[in-house]
Amino acid sequence: MEYEAIIGLEIHLELNCATKMFCDCPNRPGDEPNRNTCPICLWLPGALPRFSEEALEKAALTALGLNCSIQERSAFDQKVYYYPDLPKGFQLSQAHLPIARNGHLDIIGEDGHLKRLRIHKIHMEEDVARLVHETEGRTPISLVDFNRAGVPLVEIVTEPDMRSPHDAMEFIRALRIQVRYIGTSECSMEAGTMRADANISLRPKGTDQLNTKVEVKNMNSIRHLGDAIAYEISRQTASLKAGEAMVLHTRLWDPDKCVTVPMRGKFEGPCVPDPSVPPIVVTDAWISRMQSRLPEMPGCKAERFAREFGLSREVALMMSAERDVADYFEEVVRYTVPPRTAAHWLATQLLPALRERGQSCADTPVAPQRFAGLLAMLEKNEINANAAKEVLRYLFENERTPAEIVERHGFRQFSDTGRIEAIVDEVLAVNQEAVNDYRNGVEKAMGFLIGRAMQACGGKGNPKIIKEMLAGKLRG
Amino acid sequence: MKADMFAHINPSPQPAATGGLLTGKSFVVQPNMSVRGWPTEAGSLALKGFTAIEDATAIARLKEAGAVLVGSTRMSEFGLGLHGDTAGLALSQGLADAALMTDTMGEPRITAARAGAYGFKPTGGVVSRFGLIGLIPSMESFAVVARSPDDIAAVMSSIAGSDHRDFSMCDGPAPAFTAASGSDDGITTIGIVRECVKGLADEEAGVFMTGVARLRERGCDVREVSLPDFDLFRTVHHVIGSVEASSSCGKYDGVRYGHRAASAKNWNEMYLKTRAECFGLMLKTYLFQGAYFQFQNYAAFEKASRIRAGLANAAGAVFAAVDALAFPTRRRGLPGTDRGVTGIYDACALTLAANVLGLPALHIPGFVLEGTADYGLQLVGARFSDTRLLSGAARLSREQGA
Repeated sequence: MEYEAIIGLEIHLELNCATKMFCDCPNRPGDEPNRNTCPICLWLPGALPRFSEEALEKAALTALGLNCSIQERSAFDQKVYYYPDLPKGFQLSQAHLPIARNGHLDIIGEDGHLKRLRIHKIHMEEDVARLVHETEGRTPISLVDFNRAGVPLVEIVTEPDMRSPHDAMEFIRALRIQVRYIGTSECSMEAGTMRADANISLRPKGTDQLNTKVEVKNMNSIRHLGDAIAYEISRQTASLKAGEAMVLHTRLWDPDKCVTVPMRGKFEGPCVPDPSVPPIVVTDAWISRMQSRLPEMPGCKAERFAREFGLSREVALMMSAERDVADYFEEVVRYTVPPRTAAHWLATQLLPALRERGQSCADTPVAPQRFAGLLAMLEKNEINANAAKEVLRYLFENERTPAEIVERHGFRQFSDTGRIEAIVDEVLAVNQEAVNDYRNGVEKAMGFLIGRAMQACGGKGNPKIIKEMLAGKLRG
Repeated sequence: MKADMFAHINPSPQPAATGGLLTGKSFVVQPNMSVRGWPTEAGSLALKGFTAIEDATAIARLKEAGAVLVGSTRMSEFGLGLHGDTAGLALSQGLADAALMTDTMGEPRITAARAGAYGFKPTGGVVSRFGLIGLIPSMESFAVVARSPDDIAAVMSSIAGSDHRDFSMCDGPAPAFTAASGSDDGITTIGIVRECVKGLADEEAGVFMTGVARLRERGCDVREVSLPDFDLFRTVHHVIGSVEASSSCGKYDGVRYGHRAASAKNWNEMYLKTRAECFGLMLKTYLFQGAYFQFQNYAAFEKASRIRAGLANAAGAVFAAVDALAFPTRRRGLPGTDRGVTGIYDACALTLAANVLGLPALHIPGFVLEGTADYGLQLVGARFSDTRLLSGAARLSREQGA
């Protein structure tokens, strides 16, 4: 029998709020352990939670950016369980009345077609403390760091619309692009600001039953998520083929051995309404205000880039996928660089150079103005493409303007036809063989001759004029 | 015996401020209210040795108004029970002018009835709960036991009002707690709940009706009203109260403060042993009941929440017809309160309705008497009718005394 996988994701995003969700402690979990704590997030007797407005706003922005509808009324519940990472015996989470429901993201499916993946709900919750297990030393001990306790999270629960590791990985990529645009979370699985758990079950292909699922945790990169799902599908397939019953449980991904291992029976603690955090009621006016704070999202932006700047769909998508790249691109265009030139040079030269140097569009010393200056000189034929690449290298190294670098290093291109003609004549004279080849129909001999001419003028001759002149003389 | 009465005695009882509304008035508080630097054990081993690191909002406001804090009086574990009547003793023995108590299911009103004083529970959400080490957040409140409605009004005007540290407080300004006597109260029509009276033993009902007769003598229009589900107040309090208590006590694991069990194999066993050793039998029973509704029968909790909303609607309809409801405050002829959780609910059956709905309630002494025993006349008003209740009580007592 052939099986198909039914996959749903539960994704936790750490919101980049200034403070924790229920107190004023800084939201900096990475600080020296237990530095960012107070009676509220340690839940000392007599403390009461104070819900952060920023957390509500960022949760709502995230939900709106993921095409969800904000619920007029939402509320916090106590998820009751006893564990050393919880200072009060329950976690504040929105189990019954989430902030948002019914969203979606579009991905390109494995068949190359657009596929819509639905979001079931988004709810807010507080993070729990971090446990550090010290196993070396005489007595193994566990330490609790409360810096993370109370950090604001949203949990995104998808519908079980994914069918393959590809779908799940693409969903996470699309989610990351979208949320980084919204600017409410860093969305890094590696840094732990995004955590994704996968629920996976199998069913005979062509049926619509929902079978017992297995939850897989502990993937700390998108690739691991895909690998873990792929492993789990093959594990479950083998298990079903052997006639074993599926049991609801949680498994941990072991990134070293590339397998999932059983962790515990899935425990669903009770969730009772919290009496100290009042219900959250939002008005339509508030929702529209949040909506108006959303930036232009990548889908719309790509469409506009294509329309306004005449970019191909592919290039428009590339220019809009990351918010800092898109902002950079638009700023370069604002300095009157032709958009297609800007996009081409950004994609083929600047972005690879940034990657190489571990920089981003937002923090590179090659500010949009300097990059635009370089492209303007290229457009005006003051330098040629080869020289431009050289100038770009210098732009990373010092603060001079592109014009200063061109002058200082003599990159300026010459278009003086008399001078070029002399060089061309010389090249034709000493490369008689290539000239003959070309005249006998060997096209690539032209490339060779252009190369020689460029070499002869130290790379500074205008290649267009050189080519035209060569072609003219060879024809003549 | 002062030592039996007090959990902590303030070694230097000085007024913190002069010229305040409460300057010169002495107070006892309870050890579940945070007073900076005081041992704050809430009557539980779970908080053994715990010292409050800052003042509860209500305490800070008492201090600002010039009150002298004499000490904290012993109480039942987290306020579950009636052992907090030590606060009433402090008043009757002249050790304090007023007591700040925790009203979880009516204890301050019952304490007041025993001590011949007034006992007042304000509308829920009018006094900040910040710094109160509570048990049932949605029902409990700071309450005041004092010798006159004016004293209560002075305390309330000092401690009530919004506090950015308690988000669960009601929106809008607190009732204006001006002087109770002399202002026009508008408490003229008083309702007697038929289903409540029917549930009383004959002797209890008889005693209560003597108090009702006194109300009529003072010119009140007393009418019978109906709350068909009156009996359910107790059930709703028990189900929701035990669930909230179970959550509230979740933090007592012996890790950061309080008693910790001597040794254990792992953290889970340490939690279990610690909690087994910390909590008294009564609280433990109550927490088990709450955990049952949390883990095994959540549907019952949901049903209780729906019934609670229904009771609020029914009470709202009644308050459209009467200015206040009258109840006896304490039960007559009950065999003590040592009969566990059921015994406590029996004893508080007439007071807990105000906790379930967050209504203001006031015990007025000297109305429902049998010999020297005061079973109490309790007026319960609509939400935010706090000042009217206090003014009405001032007038009724004046006429009573005349």
